[in-house]
Amino acid sequence: MRPSPLANPLATVAHLETSASQLDSIPPDLEDSIRFAGASLTQAAGVLLRLPQEVIAQGIVLFQRFYLGPPGGSLTEYGAEQVSAASLYLTAKLSAYPKSARSVVNVYAYLSNLPTSFYDAESLQKRGLEKEYFVSEGTYERRRSTLFTTEQVILRTLGFNTHVQLPYTLCITYLQALDTFSHPRAPELAKRAIAYLNTALLSPQCLYLTHQPSALATAAIYLAAREVGIKMPECEWWEVFDTDREMLGFLCVGMLSLEGWVSEEKGRWAGRSVPVSVEGVAEEMRRRKEETGLDDDMQRAVNG
Amino acid sequence: MASRWANDEADKVEELRRKKDKEEKKRLKLQKQQEAEAAALATQETESRPAKRRRLSTGEDDDQEVPKPNEPEADRKLIRFEAGTWSPCRHVSHFETLNQIEEGSYGWVSRARDTTTNQVVALKKVKMDYAQDGFPITALREIQILQRSHHPNIVSLQEILSGDDPQECVLVMEFLEHDLKTLQEDMSEPFMASEVKTLLRQLVQGVQYLHTNSIMHRDLKTSNILLNNRGQLKLADFGMARYTPPPNAPLTQLVVTLWYRSPELLLGTRDYSTEVDMWSVGCIFGELILKEPILSGKNEVDQLSLIFSLCGLPSEKTWPAFYRLPNARSLKLPRDPQHKTPGFNRARFPFLTASGIDLLSALLSLNPENRPSATDVLSHPYFGEQPKPKPAQMFPTFPSKAGQERRRKRSPNAPKRGDEVQGVKNVDFSSIFAAREEGEKGAGFMLKMA
Repeated sequence: MRPSPLANPLATVAHLETSASQLDSIPPDLEDSIRFAGASLTQAAGVLLRLPQEVIAQGIVLFQRFYLGPPGGSLTEYGAEQVSAASLYLTAKLSAYPKSARSVVNVYAYLSNLPTSFYDAESLQKRGLEKEYFVSEGTYERRRSTLFTTEQVILRTLGFNTHVQLPYTLCITYLQALDTFSHPRAPELAKRAIAYLNTALLSPQCLYLTHQPSALATAAIYLAAREVGIKMPECEWWEVFDTDREMLGFLCVGMLSLEGWVSEEKGRWAGRSVPVSVEGVAEEMRRRKEETGLDDDMQRAVNG
Repeated sequence: MASRWANDEADKVEELRRKKDKEEKKRLKLQKQQEAEAAALATQETESRPAKRRRLSTGEDDDQEVPKPNEPEADRKLIRFEAGTWSPCRHVSHFETLNQIEEGSYGWVSRARDTTTNQVVALKKVKMDYAQDGFPITALREIQILQRSHHPNIVSLQEILSGDDPQECVLVMEFLEHDLKTLQEDMSEPFMASEVKTLLRQLVQGVQYLHTNSIMHRDLKTSNILLNNRGQLKLADFGMARYTPPPNAPLTQLVVTLWYRSPELLLGTRDYSTEVDMWSVGCIFGELILKEPILSGKNEVDQLSLIFSLCGLPSEKTWPAFYRLPNARSLKLPRDPQHKTPGFNRARFPFLTASGIDLLSALLSLNPENRPSATDVLSHPYFGEQPKPKPAQMFPTFPSKAGQERRRKRSPNAPKRGDEVQGVKNVDFSSIFAAREEGEKGAGFMLKMA
């Protein structure tokens, strides 16, 4: 069957079963943490590069696709930061808003200097010391060549399938179809729905890789309408948008659970940042090994 | 004696019972369904949100979940849009090269065979120019556009291969025996009128598909148009193509091979659209009739003078925007108030019917706004009049020369990205119609089969 231009290529069961990183003995929880950190890094870099949200979202989807499944990239070989930078550079190049390699390298240098992996609007506004994130000509040359080779690796790993269909415009169309814009609080509803779509983008469950845009848009509207308190039709209106109840429920939980998960993450990574480079991941693995080693010693001491 | 097979009393009773059973079952089913629907409605009102399967966090708002009652699967059929999945590129070693076809500015094309399926394909190896911007944007656009374009008159892209060298990138496309340029060079006679119509109609159908999907090809020319032995024409080489950008985004004027480049591009406009493709279609139409390029200028100035001598000069009335184009001011055009400026020079196409001339001159309108769209062209009376377009199945076949050595006439390549814009400097076109007088006398008499 000819692929529909309205749909996205989706992850298969084989993709979701395991990943190249897990085969390289990266624990799944660390992979989830890095997946989220990489997606938020891409989002933050996109904001600083003044890219439209569509371009940023496409970059995040490519980033997530790259690490999926055994044929995908492994975190022990390709750090999340370099893949994030190359995905964003690639999608910007394909869009009407291309960014120079220099701008991309500069923005990532600035972000890697921030003390946290959990960005908020305030910390991105802050101007640090230029000295700290200045990229010298030599460093720039090196990072640019990494950017280009990583771009090439992403393209080959994805089989040049860079097609990403997004749910944003679909979401507005659905809201119009549901005739919600006559409601006085419609702008609030639309804003919340878009916010849920942006949330889903960062989910370590990779919701954008497992569900079609129509289902994502429908779930976002469902949650937003409940939150804002705007009444939806009494019937199973989501079926009109090709989403069944099962899927809707799954997506709603996925979208709602992110907030709690992230606050847990914040606690877990308090005072340090999630490793987004190959070296960082190796170090984290060493640290974990030592910790479990210590635990084992204590266990033995107790038992002995 | 009654037949053994005749219905007796017992049979009748049995049948009645069966009928009753059936009705009872039906009623029960309906009742069940109604109950389920009512239950669903009720749960919808009470439930905080639809059922969930997996949770990631133990946030407190997760706890008020209401267990979902078993309800029958709704038998409404939902539409599913599929777009497959993705998988890494295969290696080039899955293909066995048969022969080289051509080398162009964009890369190398060769004929090859898939070693697993024995299918013959065309491999296009993209030239990599990594210095500036990483993976070449032209190749990316070509891949993206071909992946999304599915039309009988557009060459289909099957997959993309990677090689040993990480920079190697090979496009696998369907193989077609000819390209229009080399085919015409090898033919002794031009295409017949009915064949020209078939070719032009397929060409314009392909262009129409692109334009309705907001794609500009930007390098239509006979060497980019492929033809197979079943008379099917397909557009190829999308290295210059791109999606129509948001309004007012400056576009590069370095597009379209010189001989097929429209006057507004030659005059340096940065705000153009699908009309540039329609100009190229006009050039190709003329070329199909004459069997040779109609406007083969040596450089941009020469190209402009050839255009003006074929199509006449622009005036304030026919092309108001002309004098606002960047390079227009430096041109010195002959202005003779007594002499009416000559229009389209139809003497160059002595065998074309009136409606054919009408279509050709419309496609080659200097003012881009006067050029017909692809959809307009398809409904032009030219296609309706005798001789009718020849069915593609009836098309003559030609020996395929793809891969054999042969002499090529030099023809210009598409402009390269990042080249310096040559521009049109001060030029005098005062005497371009000097030769027109002789041409006007006609080309004599010739019999030609349609």
